[in-house]
Amino acid sequence: MSAVDLLNLLIAALLLAGVYAAMSVGMTIIYGVMKIVNLAHAGFLMLGAYFVYELHAAFGIDPLWGVLLAFPAFFFLGMAVHWLLIRRIPTSDQPTLTSLLLLFGLWLVLQNLGYLIWGNADRAILTPRTLSVLQIGPISFPTVRLVVFAAALTSLGGLEFVLHKTWFGRGVRALMQNSDAGRIVGVNVETTVRVAFGVGIAFAGAAGGLLAMLYSFSPDFGGPFLLRAFVIIVLGGLESFAGVAVGALILAVVETFSILFLPASYQPAIAFSLLVVALIVLPEGVAGLWNKRRRWA
Amino acid sequence: MSGAWNNAASPRRRFARTVVPFLLLTILAVLPLFGPGPNTVRLLFVTLVWVTVSVAWNILGGFGGQVSFGFAVFYGLGGYTAALALNAGANPVLSFLLAGIVALLASLLVGLPTFRLKGPYFAIATIGVSEAVRVVMNNLSVTGGASGYRIIERGAFHQLHHFYTALALAVVAVAVSMLVWRSKLGLALVAIREDEEAASDLGVNPFRAKLLAHAIAATLTGAAGGVYARYAAFIHPQGVFAFDIGVAILLMPIIGGVGTIWGPVIGAGVYGLVHEELIASFPQLHLLLYGSLLILIILFEPGGVVGLFEKSLRMFSGTRRASGSHP
Repeated sequence: MSAVDLLNLLIAALLLAGVYAAMSVGMTIIYGVMKIVNLAHAGFLMLGAYFVYELHAAFGIDPLWGVLLAFPAFFFLGMAVHWLLIRRIPTSDQPTLTSLLLLFGLWLVLQNLGYLIWGNADRAILTPRTLSVLQIGPISFPTVRLVVFAAALTSLGGLEFVLHKTWFGRGVRALMQNSDAGRIVGVNVETTVRVAFGVGIAFAGAAGGLLAMLYSFSPDFGGPFLLRAFVIIVLGGLESFAGVAVGALILAVVETFSILFLPASYQPAIAFSLLVVALIVLPEGVAGLWNKRRRWA
Repeated sequence: MSGAWNNAASPRRRFARTVVPFLLLTILAVLPLFGPGPNTVRLLFVTLVWVTVSVAWNILGGFGGQVSFGFAVFYGLGGYTAALALNAGANPVLSFLLAGIVALLASLLVGLPTFRLKGPYFAIATIGVSEAVRVVMNNLSVTGGASGYRIIERGAFHQLHHFYTALALAVVAVAVSMLVWRSKLGLALVAIREDEEAASDLGVNPFRAKLLAHAIAATLTGAAGGVYARYAAFIHPQGVFAFDIGVAILLMPIIGGVGTIWGPVIGAGVYGLVHEELIASFPQLHLLLYGSLLILIILFEPGGVVGLFEKSLRMFSGTRRASGSHP
């Protein structure tokens, strides 16, 4: 294990963290504003992957443009889902099993629609970028990972701008802190929640497109990433955008460096174990949420 | 979801509730006399295994409101334990007992940390546990890893033995579920489901009650896994530990009527029969159907099939019954 190898691993972890952050941020928005754990996130990641794939296969649209197009497409899809399903369940200031099961049902539907439409064969998006490598001295950067990393950072930067510089963004942040107080100071809760759900799904779709540039995918593509997204937002304290970055970095580093200690076939277990550990030993991230306000029955 | 998990014993239909199950049981018990085809017996066997796990899940998830996606862990561990025991020469009953015991121990290992989490967080943690266990089992060399494990039993294959074993286990599961429902534990679980903090103010120890319900449910699930494994004679992690198994175990009681005695049985019956019919030709359609059903149930009829049935009965008879009472 030389220093160069170590540096290569570190860079791989950092590049991975960028995608992880982009894939988790949509979940944080939805959780923060609505206190809903979006289990259907996995389904939208998968749809995003196929969206970009189909655009590439049918029209030869570069996957990067596909990801850009995924934002508006999934934004409207998200608003439609909100209108159709989400607004019908009772709101709460803490996650409910009703919302969890509803979105789980939606995930099952999306995933199996995926199977009906695309079958269960693995697909991959291949572009000239896929196999090229940028060599700087002894360190090699896979080009596609650099590109995906840059796209992820750009989208996160855009989100940061919207959240801090627009009326909608302030409304979102107000609702994340305290939805009652937000209502009192004049945030239009219904509209903000609907748009926030749309934005969350838009990020899921776009992140799915980004992931599709890196990995092969099938209709049950989203599952492992769903749990990774969840462990990331738990590590980050569930409602904080800075926390997402931290969580993504932690998970990416742990996963990347685990190959030094564990056989690669065990690697998927890391995220799952980390999820359980994070949920249990990070009471300030999770338990604080339940204890803040008493349940009302 | 407090309304959804409500269950009320209606004195008006107590008669029907006693007679129908016995009738069903009698039919199932004497059915082999009429010489049904092996395919029918297989279908009934599988459905009865589903009934057991569905009823078991309902003890924790229905009575106690603790939704777990992770029951495949117990099902799979039960299957593997029974498989190892059978191959070591143990008799079937002992193997099923061992399967239950191993699942029970696993339930404590899983429950001790995860029951510190509440509601949805517990549910999500169980997804993590289930997937982690599956990955480990995929790599475990003792049991052949991902390529699976074969059970070799000497002697002839009697399908009806398997059928009666599954029937007996399903009866035990329903009986246990009834006993729990009538016991102090049942009251404690309902109290926890409705309001955990209020329950603990009233002197219920939620952690202990949940752990106990989890252990009971896991034991039954493990035994069911063992019964299935002996019949299948070959198990592999992608089969018995699959996330889909955990999902199926959760869907059945919710579809049938969560938190009731007979809802999970009905849910398992519907699931088992439809599953076997659809899985061969349209495996994806099957889960698509159940996903849509889950959405519809959550949105419109949280009581599931049983709730729908009771609602329509009420509509016909035009009477209202007191709701939310515990027998």
